[in-house]
Amino acid sequence: MTDDAAARRLNPLHLVAAFATGGLLTAMVHLNGELARYGNPLFSSWVAHGTGTAAALLLLALLLRRQGAGAPAKPSAPLWAYLGGISGAVTVMLTSFAVNSPIALSGTLALGLAGQVGFGLAADRWGLFGLPARRPGGRDFAALGLILAGSLLIILQGHFA
Amino acid sequence: MILSAIFACVAGMLVIVSRQLNGRLSLSTSPLVSSFWNHVVGFAALTVVGLAIGGLLPAGAGEVPWWVYLGGPLGVVFVASGSWLVARIGAINTALLVVGGQMVSGVAFDLMRSAAPSAWLSGLGVALILAGMALTQKRS
Repeated sequence: MTDDAAARRLNPLHLVAAFATGGLLTAMVHLNGELARYGNPLFSSWVAHGTGTAAALLLLALLLRRQGAGAPAKPSAPLWAYLGGISGAVTVMLTSFAVNSPIALSGTLALGLAGQVGFGLAADRWGLFGLPARRPGGRDFAALGLILAGSLLIILQGHFA
Repeated sequence: MILSAIFACVAGMLVIVSRQLNGRLSLSTSPLVSSFWNHVVGFAALTVVGLAIGGLLPAGAGEVPWWVYLGGPLGVVFVASGSWLVARIGAINTALLVVGGQMVSGVAFDLMRSAAPSAWLSGLGVALILAGMALTQKRS
C-alpha cells in the first residue's frame, strides 16, 4: 500500500509534535553529554537506558491503572520489531567513536544527517520494516530540502565563518 | 578518518532503523510499550558490552547531580513520540522535522549560554528550517 503523501498537507499537530520532539533531543543530548563528562559515553548511555526503563515502567503502571481491559486485541509484532534498542545502542557506540576522531562533532552530525536522509527515503520508498510505503511529492521535497540546508548550515557554520 | 566517516553515516542510518522498528512495534502495542522495550533491550545490550570491556561504573559516577539523570526519562518520551510519528508521517518527514526542531532549540540553547559561534549563520539556518516547515502547511 502506498500512501500518496503528495496529495495531502502535513497535519499541523504532527508538525508541532515532531518539532517539539527535536527540542526534547537537545535537552537529552545536553544531559547525557553531562553524564558522559562525569564518566564515559558507555556509562552515559547505559544509565540513560536504565533510568528510562524505570521511568517507562512507572508510566505504564500509572496508565494501566486508569484504563481497564476491553481494548481490541492487535495482531502481534514479529520478534525483530523488539530489536530497536540494539540498533540504538550500536548508534551510541558508533557516534561516540566518530565524535572523538578527526571528523569531530560537526562531521559526525553532518554525515549522520546524510545517513538519516538516504536511509529515510529508502525506508519510505519501500516501506521497510513493516511500515507503510510512502512517496513524497514535489512540495515535500522542497520543504525537506530547506530544512536540510538550514540544518547543515547550523552544523557546519564553523567551517564557513 | 574514512572509518569514522563510515561510522557516522551508518549511525544516521541506524537512527532510522531504530525508529522504523519501534514504530512497527508500536502498531502492535502502543508507543509507550514500544519505548519501554527499546530501553530494556538497549539496557541489556549495553550491560553486556560494559561487562565485556569495562567502564560501566567510572570513578566520577558518585558526583553526578540528580537532574542529569533526567535524560533517560526524557528519552522514553522521545522514543514514544518518534514511534507515534513515524507510523503517521513516515521516516523522512519524522527525521527531518525532528532534526529541524533539534537545530532550532540547539541554537536557542547556545544563545542562552552565549556560545553561538556565528549569530547570522545560525539565524539564516533557523530561517531556512522555519521556511521548510511553513512550506509543509501550504495547500498544493
